[in-house]
Amino acid sequence: MNRLHRFFRTPEAIAGAIILALLIVMALAAPLLFPGDPQAIAGPTLLPPFQDWSLPLGTDRLGRDVLAELFHGARTSLAVGLAAAAAALLIGSVIGTLAGFAGGLIDEVLMRITDAFQTVPSFLLALAFVSIVGPSLSVVVAAIALGAWTGPARVARAEVLSIRERDYVAGARVIGMHPLEIAFREVLPNALPPVLALSSVIVAAAILTEAALSFLGLGDPNRVTWGGMIAEGRAVLRTAPFLSVVPGIALMLTVLGVYLAGEGVVESTAVRRSLS
Amino acid sequence: MTVLAVSSLAKRYRRGGKPFAAVDDVSFEIGRAETLALAGPSGSGKSTIARLVLRLIEPDAGRVDFEGADFLALSGAALRARRARIQMVFQDPLAAFNPRVTVARVLDDPLRIHGIAPRAERPRRIAALLERVGLDAGLAARAIHEISGGQRQRVAIARAIATRPTLIVLDEAVSALDVSVRGQILELLLDLQRQERIAYLFISHDLGVIRAVAHRVVILDAGRIAESGDARAVIANPRSAIGKALVAATPRLTRNRP
Amino acid sequence: MTALLSVRDLSVGCRRDRAEAPALKGISLDVKTGERLAIIGESGSGKSTLALAIAGLLARGAKVEGLIGWKQSSLQSPHSFAPPSVLPDISPTRGEISSSAAGSPHATPAIGESGRDSSISPQVGEMSGRTEGGAVERRPFHPRDNPLLGRDIGFVFQDPSSSLDPVMPIGKQIAEVVHTHLGLSWPDSFAQAKTVLDRVRLPDPEAVLHVYPHQLSGGQKQRVAIAAAIAAGPKLLIADEATSALDTIVQAEIVALIRRLVAEDGMTLLFISHDIALAATLADRVAVLRHGELVELGETDQILNAPRHAYTRALLDAHLGLDAEPLLDRQGASA
Repeated sequence: MNRLHRFFRTPEAIAGAIILALLIVMALAAPLLFPGDPQAIAGPTLLPPFQDWSLPLGTDRLGRDVLAELFHGARTSLAVGLAAAAAALLIGSVIGTLAGFAGGLIDEVLMRITDAFQTVPSFLLALAFVSIVGPSLSVVVAAIALGAWTGPARVARAEVLSIRERDYVAGARVIGMHPLEIAFREVLPNALPPVLALSSVIVAAAILTEAALSFLGLGDPNRVTWGGMIAEGRAVLRTAPFLSVVPGIALMLTVLGVYLAGEGVVESTAVRRSLS
Repeated sequence: MTVLAVSSLAKRYRRGGKPFAAVDDVSFEIGRAETLALAGPSGSGKSTIARLVLRLIEPDAGRVDFEGADFLALSGAALRARRARIQMVFQDPLAAFNPRVTVARVLDDPLRIHGIAPRAERPRRIAALLERVGLDAGLAARAIHEISGGQRQRVAIARAIATRPTLIVLDEAVSALDVSVRGQILELLLDLQRQERIAYLFISHDLGVIRAVAHRVVILDAGRIAESGDARAVIANPRSAIGKALVAATPRLTRNRP
Repeated sequence: MTALLSVRDLSVGCRRDRAEAPALKGISLDVKTGERLAIIGESGSGKSTLALAIAGLLARGAKVEGLIGWKQSSLQSPHSFAPPSVLPDISPTRGEISSSAAGSPHATPAIGESGRDSSISPQVGEMSGRTEGGAVERRPFHPRDNPLLGRDIGFVFQDPSSSLDPVMPIGKQIAEVVHTHLGLSWPDSFAQAKTVLDRVRLPDPEAVLHVYPHQLSGGQKQRVAIAAAIAAGPKLLIADEATSALDTIVQAEIVALIRRLVAEDGMTLLFISHDIALAATLADRVAVLRHGELVELGETDQILNAPRHAYTRALLDAHLGLDAEPLLDRQGASA
């Protein structure tokens, strides 16, 4: 409650929260407002926006409702962004905790694997992964997570290395706690805050990566995505630029919203720390 | 009966590239319900010995026999099971606990890990432990950071006695406490020793506290034993240079007693 | 003896979890010029808050009421008062600084206070609970600042590892104090730094000038911190639990060092400690604080032998000295 209050003190955080709230409402309302297949033909082709109020944002080359696609695209963007970030944070913190807590050979091996993943550009990794396994929503999520877990892993490991030396970890050993229980029950929860601070950056990057994959035609073909919409509009960019501009603006606002809200969270926790 | 026998214990570290002996050829024994104090200036190896005895770190040489068996030979599950018998209380009662847990969770852990009580019975055992160390059973629901330093140190003692150990290592366990609280905690420790026949390895830099509660004292200097013997006799008449320096440096209240 | 500084009705509130927690409640005491005054108390007694308030080191946001008045002649440079216009938030009748005025570094004459505060001579310049300061480095130096930390007040903290800059050589840290407050040239400041390092009995002060804090032991670091505190020749030295993190032997050495330096320079000493026995070995007078209130203040001899307050007696009885009756015997336990 107090934390929420502090969160809403900065205008950036408020703007971010409003954008994210709108986006979530869009995603949730999509099947209610636009039941049925958003990829079904709804009217004449290439209808410009604001001409026909039953199709406010017009139609694309195949006569599909752009507004319906936009709403359903929000679902995909949010779902992929959040799922990929959650997977990256989970994998990263588990690997970072194991490496930092176990030390020695396990640490060496895990960190060299992390290095290997970090040296390959994450977008190339995702591209290669989707090309080999085939495009579907879960594969896209996995592909994005594959390139994003190394950051959380490094942060978690650094944090665990310092927590490992604290008295309460020694205390847990003295009462005979199993090392894995110490690592995941005593150490990991206390190492999480700086790792979670990365989440907004990861979510934003995941949304952009998903859009880029879809733009290249590597998204799930059964779902509307903003990246796919932009790619669709590319062929008629001169005659109907709105087909690319509308989803482009949606994408930009989403990433901006995630950043701003994330910044607000970091700010509010920083204030809390300086007070205590 | 000897609870703990340490012989020729040694631990070396590297400091600035040069090896130095943190603990060098240290031997001592502690009997049942006995308090042995380790005294010495900082860097004399007191805390290293505590951590070696508890196997939080491994010695380079020497033997540790606990309750007549080689404690250093144990590993894995056997070591964890044996840890029930040898417990520890730390100096800083705040640092000694996971900052996000409740008092109940702190006391539940040893009972669960060592299978001392089934889940349904544990709340009752936790309440009994709290009462044993002079705390209200209602404290169980509180977060560890909400209670006072003295209460926290009592919780630490409750955790240590939960598994009915024969030896508790007290590493500067009363140094961070206010003097009024310190007296109560020392009384509690002595009471537990009498009732439960617990032996203490009592680490302190404060000769006044050692003299008040310890039977015997070992004075350390640079990782080696400088002298040892009956606590009051050694403090009244120290023979080693470090012993003399420690006694001389201890502040005295010069009161004109009636 | 005249008073170097007078504390009158000093109350300090610290905000914690939105609630106003009083750290000091109406403290009044005089620190006499040249005396060694110990302030003792347990955790939460407010003894450190008092030291910080006198040094002007309280955190921004602390609510301060009351007065800390200084004897004007004790300060090194001539003072003129800051124009009232820079202190819009301070009421002229009551020296009260709310957090909104906390940023003001300037001292103020407490207009209209002379009647209430008669123990201070007329030429005394008063400072209304300066709520922040100490951040001398963070703020532009102002020559009119009333007692200035570093120049007029030397402050020694409990933990030298955190009060010394870890990435600056020792010599530079001390020379900076000299350069800033005494206005000496850098070479002279370094020469002065070497002299004070010699005075705190650090072996080979020439070499110590060039080392970093992490290369020294805890006791040596505290000697360096003391050297930095006395480098500009302050009239008042405040040692806030300066020996609590050290072992008994080093503690005795540091206490002996403080005793010698205070005697040699004629400094006034404010020795903050939780240890009544340690404080008594050093102090002429002892002030006992509890829960933010001054419980008792008296000559050391009177405090030890005829304490008037039950709390002082309890503190004395709780001390476990080398002549106390062991608890083991009191309980009748034996091995």
